[in-house]
Amino acid sequence: MGFSSTRGSLLAAVLVGSLAATTAGAAWAADNGAADNAATCTNKSPSKMPFSKMTVGFSQSENLQNPFRAAETKSVRDAAKAAGVKRLLYANANSDQAKQVSDIQSMINQGANALIVAPLNSTGLKPALEAAAAKGIPVVTIDRQTAGKPCRDFITFMGSDFHKQAVRAAKQLVKATGGKAKIVELQGAYGNSVETARTDGFAQIIDQHKGMQIVAKQSAKWSTTEAQKVMSQILLSHPDVNAVYAQSDTMALGAIKAIQQFGKTPGKDIQVVSIDGTTEAVKLVANGQIAADIETNPRFGKRAFQAIHDYMNGQPVKQTIIMHDHLFTPANAQKSLDSGKVY
Amino acid sequence: MSDTATTHAPAARDHARRERLVALVQSRLALAVLIVVTLGAGAYFPNLLAPTNIENIVTAASFLGLIVLGQSFVLIMGGLDLSVGSMLALGTVISAYTLPYGWPVALLAPAVAGALVGLIDGTLIARAKMAPFIVTLAALLGIHGIALALAKQSMDLGDAGFFGTIANGEIAGINNMIWILLIAFALGALVLNRTRYGMALFAIGGNEDAARMMGVRVERIKIATYMLSGALAGLAGALLAARLNSGLPTAGEGYELQSIAAAVVGGVLLTGGVGTLTGALSGVLLLGLIQNIINQIGTLSASYQQLASGAFLLVAVIIQSLLSHRRGGE
Repeated sequence: MGFSSTRGSLLAAVLVGSLAATTAGAAWAADNGAADNAATCTNKSPSKMPFSKMTVGFSQSENLQNPFRAAETKSVRDAAKAAGVKRLLYANANSDQAKQVSDIQSMINQGANALIVAPLNSTGLKPALEAAAAKGIPVVTIDRQTAGKPCRDFITFMGSDFHKQAVRAAKQLVKATGGKAKIVELQGAYGNSVETARTDGFAQIIDQHKGMQIVAKQSAKWSTTEAQKVMSQILLSHPDVNAVYAQSDTMALGAIKAIQQFGKTPGKDIQVVSIDGTTEAVKLVANGQIAADIETNPRFGKRAFQAIHDYMNGQPVKQTIIMHDHLFTPANAQKSLDSGKVY
Repeated sequence: MSDTATTHAPAARDHARRERLVALVQSRLALAVLIVVTLGAGAYFPNLLAPTNIENIVTAASFLGLIVLGQSFVLIMGGLDLSVGSMLALGTVISAYTLPYGWPVALLAPAVAGALVGLIDGTLIARAKMAPFIVTLAALLGIHGIALALAKQSMDLGDAGFFGTIANGEIAGINNMIWILLIAFALGALVLNRTRYGMALFAIGGNEDAARMMGVRVERIKIATYMLSGALAGLAGALLAARLNSGLPTAGEGYELQSIAAAVVGGVLLTGGVGTLTGALSGVLLLGLIQNIINQIGTLSASYQQLASGAFLLVAVIIQSLLSHRRGGE
């Protein structure tokens, strides 16, 4: 009896804790950013509804502990305020695909006239997008592409080109190591397309350089602690490593800790390149520990509302809008931090 | 003898009455809270009680609901199944792979796979006497790995035809998922309350040794119950794939804990032997309702949803624990 009641209360404690905590995770995903093409969507019977009469819904996919998600949400909120919308509805799916569908439907039920959606996965929004289409509600998708027919299921996709980010990171690593390197690749969580694009893009450039060799690649699931653990293990088996490619800043931070614990100096003995451009990592670029950081631009708000405005007024909207991602190097990092350009 | 009868009878009757009351509170508390919260929030947010919104809440909760049904059986038996969330994910992936062989295969193959997982879990727990927590935790991790190995990222089902209709169509203007959920819980209640198998679950959860002495075939029933839980999780996965037109290797994360939370909020005791399906269903809907209310407020961070769910769970556990002490103690 004593045993089972202890077990009961222990489990209850675990449960309460887990519900309050979150799955966190820094996975932002999308298909390979398609090339910016000329195709557009145009509303054939524009309502010309002004923002002051509009309710706009924003469906966020992941928890805001992730700085990208926080910056993205802030950008949409700020833009909503600037545009003067009547009401902005906000829901966060907390990495649950079924919840995102229900979130969107609940915003439609609440009378949303337009939707901004950050899809959690590259598929899985079908019933929600169909419900929006049935009511003629335009949907702007941001940061990750999702399955659907342009102009019917959504009017545009705007996001970074993840493949190109990896290509740029690889070129920076070639530059930082002088074309000779034994590289560790820290990959994102398997099961989403960002990881695939950032792996493929990197390999495409590295394969062209004879002196560049990937000696170990492992997933650290976008997590700092996981990256630290994985990196420590790799350093033990490959002490001659002199370069790291982290597919996200969260993992770069973990790798740097592991390198320091191993008694080496990041930026001197081991060159690190990363993707995302978050404040914490750009600070390390400024002090030379990270050689280069490619941004994943989260500032979708203004462009998203512009797209909604254009569509509502019968003007053509580009089906694909590729975001401009900054490159942070020791030369510009401090200046970018000081001017508040880093999220 | 007549003397003792007259002195003890009123006390015994009092005790019995109190016990009945406690049992009633324990099983119907979640339902009462659900009704009060629905009406209260409904007065504040008129959209909440709109039929389309209620349909949305229940449809969204139906996948977790099917998992909670199996989880409740396991919990009442005094067990625990942590593998259900990743089984749901694997179920969606299996559906995506088997859809070319027809919708019946895509619907049933995940359930069969889930039953197989349950067979392995149940056998290790019942025959090898291993702790359910460890066995099903291992299953959670292993199944998650299999799902990711089969599908590196989410899979689009394309034109799924009738398979999609199963979870998106309507009968009498109500989404099929709601019918499926209600029918599943009605059948579950029938099995739990009207069959020898159901009685045996309560007996094992109450006192396993006593159940064995009464002639209950404890091992068999344990294995069958883990199979049922796995099959329901797999089936929920198939239906989620049909609903979202996707195989999702990362779906269902945290569902194992949410399913336990929903059952506990609904009055199912973690220590086994006590619980009703009305309570468990109310628990699922209550968690879904909280989520929807946060959406209605529209500006709140999702952290509040988890905070509210956590608070509900904590209060439920405290009330349960007070009630059980009262029930057992006097």
